[in-house]
Amino acid sequence: MLFYLVSASSDQALNATFSHYLDIVLVLAKKDFKLRYRNSVLGFIWALLNPLGYMLILTVIFSILLHSSVPNYAAWILIALLIWRFFQVATSQSLPSIISNPSLVTKVYMPRTLIVLSSNFANLIGSLLEFLVLIPLLFLFGVQPDIHLLFLPVILLMEFALIFSLSLFLASLNVKYRDFDQIWEIVLQLGFFVSPIVYDENLIPSNYRFLYSLNPITRLIQATRQLFFEHQLPTGFDFLVVLSITAVLFLGGLAVFSLLQVRFAEEL
Amino acid sequence: MSIIQVDDVWKRFRIPHQKRSTILEHVASLLAFEDKSYEEFWALKNIKFSLAHGDSLGIIGPNGSGKSTLLKLMARVMKPNKGTIKITGSIAPILELGVGFHGDLSVKENAEVYGIILGISRSQMKRLVDPIIQFASLEKFRDTRLKHLSSGMQIRLAFSIAIQTAADIFLVDEALAVGDMEFQQKCLEKFRELKKDKKSIVLVSHDLNLIENYCEKCLYLLNGETVVFGTTRDAIRHYLDDMKSGAQKTP
Repeated sequence: MLFYLVSASSDQALNATFSHYLDIVLVLAKKDFKLRYRNSVLGFIWALLNPLGYMLILTVIFSILLHSSVPNYAAWILIALLIWRFFQVATSQSLPSIISNPSLVTKVYMPRTLIVLSSNFANLIGSLLEFLVLIPLLFLFGVQPDIHLLFLPVILLMEFALIFSLSLFLASLNVKYRDFDQIWEIVLQLGFFVSPIVYDENLIPSNYRFLYSLNPITRLIQATRQLFFEHQLPTGFDFLVVLSITAVLFLGGLAVFSLLQVRFAEEL
Repeated sequence: MSIIQVDDVWKRFRIPHQKRSTILEHVASLLAFEDKSYEEFWALKNIKFSLAHGDSLGIIGPNGSGKSTLLKLMARVMKPNKGTIKITGSIAPILELGVGFHGDLSVKENAEVYGIILGISRSQMKRLVDPIIQFASLEKFRDTRLKHLSSGMQIRLAFSIAIQTAADIFLVDEALAVGDMEFQQKCLEKFRELKKDKKSIVLVSHDLNLIENYCEKCLYLLNGETVVFGTTRDAIRHYLDDMKSGAQKTP
């Protein structure tokens, strides 16, 4: 039997069932996923054409016109684009997740973090599928991944944790400040260029390189490239940077979210 | 044993004079030295009652008396500013039908989403989906997108799902006023079944007959305060008296 107590200071559902929460995340993610791909005939194919289009454009610009020294530029950039795209799409879709689902907040009780989590989870599945379909293409480009590739889901899971931590900030701040998406869009533009997507990390002047390498997206991209091209697992440094930044963001995000969520039902 | 115990509950709303909802507006108002004034009002004041296991509660009162706010506090959608609400048992909030419904998903898919949100497990949902659609008399539209259904049909579906949850307490906010006669009869039949199973229904409604028929206890609210908490007869008599005298006072 469920028992709970509601008061100004506490809100505890004793025996709240974990499996119920898991069910909610899965069913909401499934709904997000279906809606995202169902409305266009090409559905999932659009999700693949986007990174492929960027790959083509950036390869023409940087490899052919600007003569980048990176060998196998197309494959090299496609990997970074997929990692970046997961981050970009997942954060910008989770940002309005609370305000675009007012009935889930004002008409029924569930931990509101589940709404954010399910949005991110739908993107994780999407990202896994994109990699799955595009890995054969990398073969065509002459990349020969080996058994180390099995480690790719671990990298994506780390990225997922990073995205969720950030999304807690984004989704809750967006309820209070409805123009937060404009700011995030600019941050994402900046992020694209401060991460080694179109250029190599070695281009950064050596006195800034340490600071630069602390960007968790940089670490995720470098780790994934290592996996594909050099058949090496992520370094301890990669783990350290990504996990510690994620932990800090998660605690901060959870604090901000809990603070703001008290007034969600009244603000929506 | 009481399943709902409400103790000294107060709820305050703040209505800002000027609603600022973007960062730009916040910055602009800072630069213009606007004051951050807002009006406060207490939607609920010192609400106290308890409901025994198996009893049902009707909540009555004019518009704006705090009925829905109280229901939302019980559903944990909002928190009280003061006081506690103790609930022993699981709750199915039927505050608004069709939470999480989406027009581009099929009837079956929507039933799944809403049912799971209301607490039905995924495995149970697989078994329940057909009985739910049957109860709503929507067998023909199982795989039709929800947006092609009439609003009455959508509400029938939502109600059928909510009523299937194995909750101990059903919070119902004016939900019955919808649907055709035949469906209303079906719902009332279902209510009787729930009551036979010792489930509790908390009903907010302006339909005093409905409340009289299904609720042992009744709470009459006016301007956020309890006027009467007691037997349904008492509360309804007070409410009707107040309305009559109120009608005489205002020419």
